[in-house]
Amino acid sequence: MTKTGWQPGACAIAGIGTTDFSRDSGRSDLTLATQAVLAALDDAGVAAAEVDGIVRCDMDLVRHNDLAEALGIRQLSYWGECGPGGVAPCAMVGQAVGAILSGQATTVVVFRALNGRSGRRYGAAPAAAHQETVGGNVTYDEFFLPHGLLTAGQMFALMAQRHMIEYGSTPEQLGSIAIACRDRAQANPAAQMRGRPLTMDGYLSARMISSPLRLYDYCLETDGAAAVVVTGAERARDCRNGGSLIQAVAQASLPGTQPGTMFPALMRDSITSLSSRAVADVLWARAGLGPADVDVAQLYDCFTITLLLQLEDYGFAKRGEGGAFAADDGIGLAGPLPCNTSGGHLSEGYIHGMNHVVEAVRQIRGTSTAQVPGAEVSLVTSAPPPASSALILTADR
Amino acid sequence: MTAARPVPAPRLAPATSDPDTGGFFAAAARGQVALRYCAGCGAVLHLPRAYCWHCGGWDTGYRAVAPRARVYSWTVVEHQVHPAYPVPYTVALVELADEPAARLVTFLPGRPALHPGQELRAWFERLENGTVLVQWRPANTGDEAG
Repeated sequence: MTKTGWQPGACAIAGIGTTDFSRDSGRSDLTLATQAVLAALDDAGVAAAEVDGIVRCDMDLVRHNDLAEALGIRQLSYWGECGPGGVAPCAMVGQAVGAILSGQATTVVVFRALNGRSGRRYGAAPAAAHQETVGGNVTYDEFFLPHGLLTAGQMFALMAQRHMIEYGSTPEQLGSIAIACRDRAQANPAAQMRGRPLTMDGYLSARMISSPLRLYDYCLETDGAAAVVVTGAERARDCRNGGSLIQAVAQASLPGTQPGTMFPALMRDSITSLSSRAVADVLWARAGLGPADVDVAQLYDCFTITLLLQLEDYGFAKRGEGGAFAADDGIGLAGPLPCNTSGGHLSEGYIHGMNHVVEAVRQIRGTSTAQVPGAEVSLVTSAPPPASSALILTADR
Repeated sequence: MTAARPVPAPRLAPATSDPDTGGFFAAAARGQVALRYCAGCGAVLHLPRAYCWHCGGWDTGYRAVAPRARVYSWTVVEHQVHPAYPVPYTVALVELADEPAARLVTFLPGRPALHPGQELRAWFERLENGTVLVQWRPANTGDEAG
């Protein structure tokens, strides 16, 4: 094992909370954030006034002081921010750990709130596309938007098509990922796709959005929020539901990472292996664990192809075989790597990676609606372009 | 091949005055595909930036490359998200013949039959505001359009 300086299990997630997930919350982003954080604090048995740290996502509308005021925090001594967007959640937990271990805070709330369906929709053209000219100012959008490359889905479609070119992956393999997530959602009362099972025929006959990606390759734009409470491992043991130990967190970028927030990743040496492969190296070294040790995983699934690429980047499947791994029921409850047990972004809701952190804690506690029996090592990943992050939770027993 | 479709709404025009990337669009306006290179060590700096980390040089600038490329990947967009880009249309990711490590994206009307490695030639699309985009189309297509 590489010596890394990381302190495995020094901090823990002691509280988890979410709002309901819907297409129209009827509430402000701040109200959603407040509700999810209060639920997480109640889950931990920690008073809101005791919180002294907040970490937010750079794309959240809610700032640290908005939330501090809404919660009645007495004295905020630390705040931080990670991004871009879906890259953040695991890195946000890492920032909370850094604040705690460096003595800047003791009780840190990590949250993500968005009206992703009734408010700003990430499946729409970006706000920049309503300007007279696009790009410049280190966005590099000038090389992409004018050519009609406008959304994350279109970018991941280029990656999926390239994976099919390089390795012969198939629509049915992508479909198996959509179906596995949909199957898990059937047990989860909070999942938006509960009661709407998906068959392969249903997947293949759904409309094409941006080939080769069809409707159910896309996640669910969602209104909602999710939050966790991070504190020291010792203190977490005295909390209402104990702590899920943060065995490792990792952030990493690739050499030749390219600038910008999203589309420039298409300029890298490979578009079928993402920064998740760099994260994996750091993560396994810090955790002292490897892919074979993972009991359950919540892999970032803005699209089915995103999950497929990570199966390879994290070493669960050989290069080019992520699709076959999924299609062979590799990510089902009985498979070698049960994935996205709440239904994931594809079938529970898209809280930009944060609901995956919450579900990973449920698996350690044994309270998931699709529980992996005896799960003790629980992996979460965040979005792979332009850089990425991930974390591993372990049981404190 | 059919002729390019009529364009129903002003397409998005790129910012052309960025100090790092503007040279690409200035070259396009002259009918050239140009990439930014380091004058000291010859490294291609794409996407364009002013500093070469390979050799520590700041002496960098644009140099024309052959207007030839190959298809690397593509997507046919069937779900419309912007009024200036009616569906169906295709976005292709291309690798340049002279610099395979450098890629660009291009707009293609409709659902053209493409295959990986297919040879493409550049053409220069003048937008309503006068800005010129580098676009790519199959090499066997006539050069009359654009």
